[in-house]
Amino acid sequence: MKFTSRPAAVLAGLSLAAMALAGCSEEGGGGSAAAASGSCDPADVKLVGQVHNESNPYEASWLDGGDAFAESVDLTQERLTYDGDSTRQQEQISQLLAGDTDCLVMNILPNGDSDTAPIVEGAQEAGAYLVTQWNKPADLDVTEYDQWLSHITYNGIESGKQIGDALAEAIGGSGGIIALQGILDTGAAKDRFAGLEESLAANPDVELLDDQTANFSRAEALEVTKTLLTKHGDDIKGIWAANDDMALGALEALQQAGRTDVAVVGIDAVPDALTAIEDGTMTATVSSDGPWQGGIGLAIGYCVATGELSVDDIADEDRAWYAEQFLIEQDNVADFSAPATDESDFDCDNVFSRSQGPIS
Amino acid sequence: MTSPAEDVDVVAARPRPRRGVSFRDAGPPVALVVMFGVFSALSADFRTIGNVQNIMDTAAVLAVVTCGITFVLLMGSIDLSAPGVMGASALAVALLVANNRNDNDLGIIGVLVAILLAAALGCLSGLALVLLKVPSFMTTLGVSAIGLGVATLMFAGVQPNITDAMIESWAVDRFLGFSYLTWIAATCVLLGWSIQRYTRLGRYAFAIGGAEEVLSLSGVKVAPYKVAAFTLAGSFYGLAGVMVTSQLGAGLVQAGKGYDFAAITAAVVGGTLLTGGRGGILHSTVGVLLVTVLTNGLVQVGVSPYWQGGVQGLIVVAAVAAAVLPQRRRNQVTK
Repeated sequence: MKFTSRPAAVLAGLSLAAMALAGCSEEGGGGSAAAASGSCDPADVKLVGQVHNESNPYEASWLDGGDAFAESVDLTQERLTYDGDSTRQQEQISQLLAGDTDCLVMNILPNGDSDTAPIVEGAQEAGAYLVTQWNKPADLDVTEYDQWLSHITYNGIESGKQIGDALAEAIGGSGGIIALQGILDTGAAKDRFAGLEESLAANPDVELLDDQTANFSRAEALEVTKTLLTKHGDDIKGIWAANDDMALGALEALQQAGRTDVAVVGIDAVPDALTAIEDGTMTATVSSDGPWQGGIGLAIGYCVATGELSVDDIADEDRAWYAEQFLIEQDNVADFSAPATDESDFDCDNVFSRSQGPIS
Repeated sequence: MTSPAEDVDVVAARPRPRRGVSFRDAGPPVALVVMFGVFSALSADFRTIGNVQNIMDTAAVLAVVTCGITFVLLMGSIDLSAPGVMGASALAVALLVANNRNDNDLGIIGVLVAILLAAALGCLSGLALVLLKVPSFMTTLGVSAIGLGVATLMFAGVQPNITDAMIESWAVDRFLGFSYLTWIAATCVLLGWSIQRYTRLGRYAFAIGGAEEVLSLSGVKVAPYKVAAFTLAGSFYGLAGVMVTSQLGAGLVQAGKGYDFAAITAAVVGGTLLTGGRGGILHSTVGVLLVTVLTNGLVQVGVSPYWQGGVQGLIVVAAVAAAVLPQRRRNQVTK
């Protein structure tokens, strides 16, 4: 009985969701024509930043960056979080779009790829200015919309290569390394490992002894690293991890094995990793600069809403682009330990200055 | 003076049921030896002392979790609360011993408090089962969510890293070649086996799993024993959460992620039946070693990570099938 009724419940739920979406689209539909011109009084602009949750330092710093930008233009940012729950995210967006949307600017981190399309459609209908980051289905084209101003993400191949190169340098350009991959069927894991392979091609004396997955998990990385340390022993000079959590797990394994001669690199710039880099136990990580992400989406929207920038003037290659990411090593770790924003990054002439090229 | 005679009677009555199941009892240990032999033959790295130490160290946490879950499985219930209970205990211990978040430095008392918290969560599962009559897999799933909730509240956005020398040393220092964590796990196995063998709780767990109605009809109140088994399981998970914290040097909300099904797999591979009443701590421990040797061996032999998950699943299914083959008739309830 339980199982037979489940599809029905799913169907009912889906149709309710569809009705809710359709409802809010109709409500907001009237505003779109008026807002496209972009002639808001700066004081009327409403800024909204939305992320998964504030319980991780990265996303908390993202919202702080949004606050910093809002303050620089004498506004306040509405901070929204949805606990990684797609339904809650859509509800919050629906509520926003049901209100006054003429000068609404949204800087959104979609929960997953599939959550982006409804948010974009909603903003388009309601005439709100939207910038999304990280998650977007490949076939959703930003240039087909005029309210979805830009989509920003990061090139995983490049970050994988950056830390690969830093690792090669740390071990003196030759020697054996092992790689800890992320969840094998995610784009991030694939791209980052492809970056490592590029780095290996450029550093022919560095040998990849083994690659295993530790599923982005600190605990799994600990076990896998211990096993690989017994397998390869002193041949291991470096450990490449696809994120900082796994790098930190590998550091624990090294400590338990009494090894201090192995270089470790990761990606994400989590606080514990920054501390480890400061101490010298870890070699490098890569930061996407959370505070900048929080500010830049609002800045692009603000510039278009106030008419300083027109959607038609934004080049196609700036509609969906890779932003610059920063390699953090011991010499520059202090700059990232206390994240802050630079106001000049948010000048309307400057908002695309960190572009590393369009998303291919 | 009469007690020795009774013992003799009990012993004399035993051999009959045992003879029929001897092959099943021997299956998993034989599989363990064969698997160890095959990996040793295939890989020179596998058969080193260092790697055997590594296997034992790796098996430690899973062994403790499996000790706990075995009592629940013996009763024919299921327990999915390990991730939440371990997370709560990991955060609790990390915040109570010397750490970077507050000035607490309770040492071993902090460990005991964390285990008590875990035991309370286990007790909650048991009470919900016997008082509210909710199926055990639902109550324990709920308790797991409660545990994760408690852990997230304690997490409060900043990861507690431990600086307590004693707890850090558990994962690093060695006695007779094995880490303290391995010895703790061995002690747990011994303790679990003693409880199973010598206490009423252990014997009733078998009886509840075998034929609960018969036990109730003969006047035994089963409810307290069920609650006690879940509480015991909870305290084992709590200790396991402390052990993970010791290994990682930090209290993680996800400390117990995946341990629920890993422990059930290990117990079943070792010959503890999901239907209850058969198996035990020693069976489950053999299962833990089987699973750990398999995971380690596949890496040592050099199987590609893209293949490992599938190969591992295949071997586990084959091992379970082989273990239950001799009694496939009585096992026909294969829902």
